[in-house]
Amino acid sequence: MTDVRSPTPKAASTSEGADLDREATRPFGTGPVEPAESGSGVASGPTPTGAGWGRWTWRQLTSMRTALILLFLLALGSVPGSILPQQGSDPASVTQYFTSHPGLAPWLNRLGLFNVFAAPWFAAIYILLFASLVGCVVPRTFKLVGSARTPPPRAPRNLARLPQSVTYPSALSPDTAVDAAASVLGGQRFRLRRPAAGDAGHWLAAEKGYLREVGNLLFHLSLLGVLLSIALGGLFGYKADELVVEGQTFSDSTAQLAEFHPGRLVSGSDLAHFSLKLDKFTADYINSGASIGQPSGFNANVSYTDAPGGATKTYDIQVNHPLSVDSVKVYLIGHGYAPQFTVRGPNGVAYQEATPFIPANTNTMLSDGVVKAPSASLGFEGVFVPTAYMANGTTLESIFPAANNPEVSLIGYSGNLGLNSGEAQSVYQLDTSQMTEISGGPHLMTPGSTWKLPGKLGSITYDGTSQWVSLDITYDPGQIPALVCGILAIAGLLLSFFVRRRRVFVRAVPGPDGVGSVVTVGGLTRTDASGGFEDEFANLAADIADASSPSSPPSSPTAGPAASDDHQKPEPNNQSETGA
Amino acid sequence: MVFKAKRRTVVTTAAGVFVLLVAALVVTVFTQGKGNASDGNMVAYPVGQRPAAPDFTATSLTGTPINFASYRGKIVVLNIWGSWCGPCRGEGQTLKYLDEEYGPQGIAFLGDDIQDTPANALSFLRGEGITYPSVNDANGAVEERLAIAVPVNGAPTTLVIDKTGHIAGMIDGPATYPDVTTLLKDAAVTQ
Repeated sequence: MTDVRSPTPKAASTSEGADLDREATRPFGTGPVEPAESGSGVASGPTPTGAGWGRWTWRQLTSMRTALILLFLLALGSVPGSILPQQGSDPASVTQYFTSHPGLAPWLNRLGLFNVFAAPWFAAIYILLFASLVGCVVPRTFKLVGSARTPPPRAPRNLARLPQSVTYPSALSPDTAVDAAASVLGGQRFRLRRPAAGDAGHWLAAEKGYLREVGNLLFHLSLLGVLLSIALGGLFGYKADELVVEGQTFSDSTAQLAEFHPGRLVSGSDLAHFSLKLDKFTADYINSGASIGQPSGFNANVSYTDAPGGATKTYDIQVNHPLSVDSVKVYLIGHGYAPQFTVRGPNGVAYQEATPFIPANTNTMLSDGVVKAPSASLGFEGVFVPTAYMANGTTLESIFPAANNPEVSLIGYSGNLGLNSGEAQSVYQLDTSQMTEISGGPHLMTPGSTWKLPGKLGSITYDGTSQWVSLDITYDPGQIPALVCGILAIAGLLLSFFVRRRRVFVRAVPGPDGVGSVVTVGGLTRTDASGGFEDEFANLAADIADASSPSSPPSSPTAGPAASDDHQKPEPNNQSETGA
Repeated sequence: MVFKAKRRTVVTTAAGVFVLLVAALVVTVFTQGKGNASDGNMVAYPVGQRPAAPDFTATSLTGTPINFASYRGKIVVLNIWGSWCGPCRGEGQTLKYLDEEYGPQGIAFLGDDIQDTPANALSFLRGEGITYPSVNDANGAVEERLAIAVPVNGAPTTLVIDKTGHIAGMIDGPATYPDVTTLLKDAAVTQ
C-alpha cells in the first residue's frame, strides 16, 4: 500500500489567517473535510452490538497488521510444502515417507502436510489474505479517485509563510496580475482555482502532479487485477501431467491423464480437446571433459491436432519452449527410458509393450520398473542401465546417461499379481505378496535376448529400448491478465514515486500608492526528496513576474517577507518544508 | 499506556487467529462437502435430456472395422477399459455375464480399450472369456469424443446408449450388475 497522506501541517498558526493557512497546507490529495481514518489497524473496541462486532472484525481483517500476519503465515505454511514430499508432485516419495516414518506420517497427513497447498488451513490463510487485501484496496481506491478529483485549496492569506515565496511589485492591477499568473500556470497544466463569486481578494490557487494520484490509483487497481487474475486461474485453470512413450498418442481428457488438478469450476468436459503423439525424443549429453554426462539439449518431436479430426501439425518441444495449443501450454518436464518387452505364457503372448522405467539416478539414468503380465501370472522387477558397466564383475552400474550399451536386469515372479481383484494398482509397483520368485534371477538381458523361464512358465524377450517424456499441461487463463496487471502496478508505483504534488498560490493586493499591485507567489510540495521544486518554483515565479509586467522586464521583484519593501532581485524564501 | 498498547496487540492477534480458525472450519466443511465422485457412481439422464453419443469409426483389437453409427437401433453397453487397470479387470466377469444374458435380447456390448496394446488386451479378454468386440483406442481418440458428450473421468467407465443414439446413463467406476440393469431399463424408454 502507498499512502497519499502527509503529516499534519505545522505551518499554520493561530493567526487570523490560520483557517486559510490550514486549508492551503491540508494534506495533499485530501478534501477540505478529512474523514476519520478507518482500517488503520488500531481500532477502538467494538460496540456491544452485532453490527459493532461485525465492523470491528472487518476493521481488524482489513488492517495492514493482519495482512502482514497473514502474509507471514502464508510463508510459514509453505515451508512444510518445501520440506516434506507432496502428494501432487511426488506421490512415490510420500508413500516412501509413510514406510520410513510409520508413526509420524499419519499425523502429518491428518494435518494436511503432504498436500499443503490444497489443505483447508492453507486455503483459509490465502482466502483471508485475499479478503484482507480487497478490503484494504477497494476503499483506498475510492479515496484515491476522490483525491485525484479534489480541486486545489484556497490560497492562504499569508503566502510568505509557505516554504517557497516571492513578492514583487507589478504595474498591473491586482485582478489583471492574477489573470496573468493564471495564464502562466494554466499554460503549464496546473489545475486552477479562483475566488468564488462574492469572495474578497485577488488570488489564485494552482496545483499540479495529479499523475501521482493516477499512479497510486493505477497501482491499487492493478493490485486488485492481480488478485482477480490469480482467482481466475484458480477457478478456471487446470494442471495435468502425462507420461508418453515414443510412438504413443494421448488425448487431453481426464481418463488419459496421469495427474489432473482442475480448478474449482473445471470439469473434464472443459479440457482442451487436443491430442498429441510423441514421434521421437532426443537427449544430448556432453561426451567429454569435466562435464561429461551432463545434458546439453532435449528435443521432443511431437505431432498434434487441435481437435478431434483436425489437421495434424508438428512441433519440437524443448525445455522452456512449450507447445501452445488451444490456449494450453505443454511443457517438457522429464524423460526416461521404456524398454520394450514381450512376455509369453502358456497361452501365447500375454504382454507386449514399451514399459516406462523411472530414473533412480538422473545423472546415470539407472532406472527401475516393473513388467506385469497378469494373464500369464508373471511379473518382473527390473533395473535398466543405458550404458552398462559391471563393476567388480558383479555389480551392474550405468556409467553414462545415453543408451550406448543398454541392459536390463530382471527378477521374475509367478503367481497372482492381485490385478484381477478390482483394486487399483500403481503401474510402477509389483505386489509380490501372492507370488513366488522365479529362480535364475537377477537375469541380465541385452536387446533381442530372451529369458526362458523354468517350469514351462513362459519367456520374456527384451525387444529394444524406447524413450518416454513427462509432459506438464497447464491452462491458466489468469496468466496474461496477471502479467499485464503486474506491469501496470509497477508503472503506477513508479508514477507515484517520481511525480510529486505541488501547489502554487498567487495573491495580489493594490500597490502602496494605489497604482499597480504587489504580487506574492508562494509554493509548497509534499515530498521533494529528489529536489527540483526549488528551481521549478523560481522559474515559475520569474515567468509570472514577466507576465505581470508586460511592458518591461520584471523590475526587480522583491523576495521574502523581510525584503518585501526593498527593490532587489527576487530571492525565493527557501524555508524548509514543515507542513506538507 | 504501554500496557494498553500490548493488550490491544494481544486482542488484535487473538481476533485474527479466531477469524482464521472460523474460516478454516468453513473451508474444511466446504471442501469435505464437495468430495470426489465415489467409485461406482451412476448417473441416469432423463428422457429428453440425454446427450447424443458421438459417431466414430475405428478398428477393433483384432483389426475389424467398427462403425458406431451401425449400432443405431440397438441399446449399447459401451465400456471404457484397459488391461493395465485393476478395477477394469475386476469388472470383466460382470460384463461377460451381462453380455451372455442380454446379448441374445439384442443388446450390444462394445469395449473401448484405452492406452493399451492389442497383445495385452487380447490376452486379458481370452483369459476372461469375453467375446464382445473392443475398439483399439490406444491413442484415446474415441474416449476423447465420448468425454466431450459426458464427463468421463477415467477407466473404467460404462455408458448405456439408447436405440436413438443418446446416452441414457453412465457408471463412473466399476460396473455392477444392478447398475447396468437399471440403466438398461431406463434406456428401453426412448425420447
